[in-house]
Amino acid sequence: MEKQSRREFFKTTAIVGSAIAGLSSNSTKAAPKNILSEDRMGVLVDTTACIGCRSCEWACKTAHGIETQSLEKYSDRTVFKNMRRPDVNALTVVNEYANHQNAQLPTDVKIQCMHCDHPACVSACIVGAFSKQENGSVIWDTKKCIGCRYCMVACPFQVPSFEYNKAINPEIKKCDFCFERTKVGKLPACVEICPVEALTYGPRNDLIKIARERIKRNPDKYFDYIYGEYEVGGTSWMYIGNQDLRNVAFPKLGDKPAPGVSEAIQHGIFAYFVPPVSLYALLGGIMWITKNRKNSEEE
Amino acid sequence: MVSYMKPAPITKKYFTPGVFVLMLIALNGIAFLLGRLFFGIGAVTHLNNQYPWGIWIGVDVAAGVALAAGGFTTAALGHVMHRSHYHDIVRPALLTALLGYTFVALSVSIDIGRWYYIWHPMIMWNGSSALFEVGICVMIYLTVLYIEFLPIVTERFINHVNLKGIFSFLNKPIERLLMLLDKGLSKVMFVFIIAGVVLSTLHQSSLGTLMVIAGPKMHPLWQTPILPLLFLLSAISVGFPMVIFESMIAARSFGLKPEMEILSRLGSIVPPILGIYLAFKLGDMFIRETFVYLTSFNTQSVMFTIEVLFGVIIPLRMFLSKAVLKSPLWLFIASCLVIFGVLLNRINNFVTAYTPPYSFSSYFPSFGEISVTVGFIALLVLLYRLIVFNFPVISVIDRHYTPRTKYAIRGSEQ
Amino acid sequence: MKNFILLNVVIYSIVIFSQSKLPKNHSLSNKLNCKTCHVCEVPTKKDPCLVACPRNQMVTVYQSADKTVNIVTLGELSKKYDPVVFFHRAHAQMSEMSGGCVTCHHYNTSGPIQPCKNCHQEERKREDISKPDLEAAYHRQCINCHREWSHENSCISCHELKKAGKVSQKIDVKKIKSKDHPKLKAPEKVVYETLSRKGKFVTFYHDEHINLFGIKCINCHQQENCSKCHDKGKPTLTQQLYNLPVKIHKSADQHHKPCFSCHSEDRCGVCHSNKPEGPFNHAERTGWALNRFHEKLSCSKCHGNSDKFAKLDNKCESCHKNFAAGKFDHSLTGLKLDENHKDLDCIECHKEKNFSNSPACDNCHEDKSFPKNKPGKEITISLKKKK
Repeated sequence: MEKQSRREFFKTTAIVGSAIAGLSSNSTKAAPKNILSEDRMGVLVDTTACIGCRSCEWACKTAHGIETQSLEKYSDRTVFKNMRRPDVNALTVVNEYANHQNAQLPTDVKIQCMHCDHPACVSACIVGAFSKQENGSVIWDTKKCIGCRYCMVACPFQVPSFEYNKAINPEIKKCDFCFERTKVGKLPACVEICPVEALTYGPRNDLIKIARERIKRNPDKYFDYIYGEYEVGGTSWMYIGNQDLRNVAFPKLGDKPAPGVSEAIQHGIFAYFVPPVSLYALLGGIMWITKNRKNSEEE
Repeated sequence: MVSYMKPAPITKKYFTPGVFVLMLIALNGIAFLLGRLFFGIGAVTHLNNQYPWGIWIGVDVAAGVALAAGGFTTAALGHVMHRSHYHDIVRPALLTALLGYTFVALSVSIDIGRWYYIWHPMIMWNGSSALFEVGICVMIYLTVLYIEFLPIVTERFINHVNLKGIFSFLNKPIERLLMLLDKGLSKVMFVFIIAGVVLSTLHQSSLGTLMVIAGPKMHPLWQTPILPLLFLLSAISVGFPMVIFESMIAARSFGLKPEMEILSRLGSIVPPILGIYLAFKLGDMFIRETFVYLTSFNTQSVMFTIEVLFGVIIPLRMFLSKAVLKSPLWLFIASCLVIFGVLLNRINNFVTAYTPPYSFSSYFPSFGEISVTVGFIALLVLLYRLIVFNFPVISVIDRHYTPRTKYAIRGSEQ
Repeated sequence: MKNFILLNVVIYSIVIFSQSKLPKNHSLSNKLNCKTCHVCEVPTKKDPCLVACPRNQMVTVYQSADKTVNIVTLGELSKKYDPVVFFHRAHAQMSEMSGGCVTCHHYNTSGPIQPCKNCHQEERKREDISKPDLEAAYHRQCINCHREWSHENSCISCHELKKAGKVSQKIDVKKIKSKDHPKLKAPEKVVYETLSRKGKFVTFYHDEHINLFGIKCINCHQQENCSKCHDKGKPTLTQQLYNLPVKIHKSADQHHKPCFSCHSEDRCGVCHSNKPEGPFNHAERTGWALNRFHEKLSCSKCHGNSDKFAKLDNKCESCHKNFAAGKFDHSLTGLKLDENHKDLDCIECHKEKNFSNSPACDNCHEDKSFPKNKPGKEITISLKKKK
């Protein structure tokens, strides 16, 4: 093999290498919006106050333009017979669980997106259609989404849902913390309607203090645990109740952010594109050496 | 001998009874595919909010990518390490990879809700997403594969451009364009070959990272931080068995003699790789102490046992035996087992292991989903057959022996 | 300077005046430090500047349930619904078996009842989110009890929809028939079958504890829920009570708790025995038979007003401090003293004023002794128990 070709080899390798490096510097800029503001808002759900009236379900549907029956029809309690999950037609649902301290007073738990501080969906989404906003909302952008449903795989709370029966522009549906309402100074629809203010909207840090105070004042009434304070690195929605909600309404999750391990691996493999470029160089080296050896054998 | 072999288009009858059966299967798949396009994913599949990913991801994409690994492993062996005696199998492996990845891309497009936005990841980037990395790598690698295949196209058409009628004036320019392309490609091809290997390493492993984020939703028998490594190792270990498998099938189908010498040699490389894979898989199991889950009898424990026993341990023992390596039948069976093992591993990782905390029923693929998957495979086989009938891919005995040139991808004298 | 002094005098006199003329209820709590309830120096009726909730050390005086306001209409908040007619008195009566007035009027002061909106703001979107807003405060008071026994949580179980967005008619409180919670039918006695080996049965005389010992419902029934009697589809406790004996199903601690508030120092045998026991008998229980006068007294007359009855000695003068010659009509004891003994001092016969021992005759009369010889004439007392 002639020398020119060898020089060419290096030249081309260098060009490809720098092109990939350039790619990497771009990709760091291209990360989706993921703000963790000190003043981010949250909701404290006091399940001891919740009466299971499901007004929040009605308000949510109304605020998001989902068809619904009249509010008066929501007093039907037979729906509690089966566990329900949020889906495309109901971004939030209330489930009812037995309360062993007082069988007369079941525990009602509203389920919706928890708006994680370190959201798995934001980390996972292939096109960065999810973003964590400054006010704590985790929202989804229809202009970017390609419908791959990786967010649904990633979500530790099993929240996002998908319009499986739409052929064109199916959407990912999940609670958006009423981003359109809070943007103009309104409360989230569910918080606004709740007749007993079981949902308290406020700065997340204040809510934790309030929750602790309530538990301290009524140690008999509350199980001493704030669900969501540390779960998967903390969530904007937090729950207190008369029993350990990890046994009834919520999964037992560690305090490590859900995307933690995956991102560590990702960033390990792609640390400034060093590993791929080194592999490229290594393979190039092997190729060159073996080629030389082969050539010399032939000569 | 190897040196007397030369890639050439197969000259046989395309349509056989088997081809008609495959066409029926493919048409059935296409029918369900149309259903999905016109009525949405829910109309054809059993997917729901609890199980967002089914066999279209588990088999078509994940297993598809893994089984197309023959392309990069043989490229690494043949071109990067310059083991020239493997050159005869590089082209079929390349074609398999090319078609495999093409169908992976197609499967992804039909599985995502908005197939017409498949190009979004190219301009909307999320560096922390494993899926983004897989997507981008697959896109680039697919391009690389097509570039690697281009010399076969130019080889087929150089000196054979013969447009009729009013287009005849184009014959000369096209001929010159092809020559130019051929010459240019031969100089930079090594860049793409290395890039192909690097890209494959990246996305084969990132495919494993995909499910790491599912965390506790995934059964602990499979959920481990070293998933990317396991995926890469299993992809590398399935590469050669896949080449053996398809060479044998092709040989039988086209009435050629299986190139046992090359295939036995390939087979002898399998045990170390498969052994490392097994070591990591079992080591991980013992470090995380997940073997306790094997004591309970459920779908997950049974599937895991089948996967490791029939997919890794038994074929590993078989590949270690000289008698197996020499016998076409046993070599074929051993390769099939490895392929089965990796296929099952991908299905397990993406479907069996996925056990969300809140579900109303468990997932089993619908007839439509299976139809589309099987239809795609049938279509892939038909296309493979069509291409090898028209392009110099498979090596046949060459009557006019000539020495080889530098890159076997081009494979022929200029 | 003069002006300044004058001003000072005026200010001090205002301060002193305002402090000396405390509102009515404050007189009960004059031992209290003002700062227990108020944060400022000079609280006024308009601005009482009360300490923030939760007010843990508040002293609160409440009316008895029957005397409270009968009906309250709550209609200041909703645009969608008619005002809610709230039968306050009936609910006050209900609360007697539960937490009492504080169930709803929590953190109230010793002064007048504070309206909810003094603490609970009307706006849902507000600065201080530690307390629920007014709507939530109302609803929290009502719904949790209501849904406990009726299992209803719909708005229309309390509210009526406004017709065409207007108040359908002004609610005339006077026209509404007043409601009272029906008087509770208390059992006379309950026999508990316990697991105790010595003394399987505990006979609990419910009516005695109320009527005789004057114990209030709330003393034992501290956190009773409406659902104890009202839950639909479950045998009520009252039914259970009359199906005697009642099997113990709570833990020993839980079951002893209401009794131990008084009986903490008693032996087991005081309550436990091998057979159902009869009603309270002063002679049997204490070894001191009540005479016909003592029998008519309420327990507290001798044993004091506290929840726990004080143990007494058997010396008459412990209670009868004013027994003296001339003031006491001895014939009430059934012995009319004759002329000779009539003017004697009590201790002449009753040594050391110990009236329970037989009087001594031999202090004066060597040949006479009681009861053979009597210092007067025995009479039959016409005064009989009016039972």
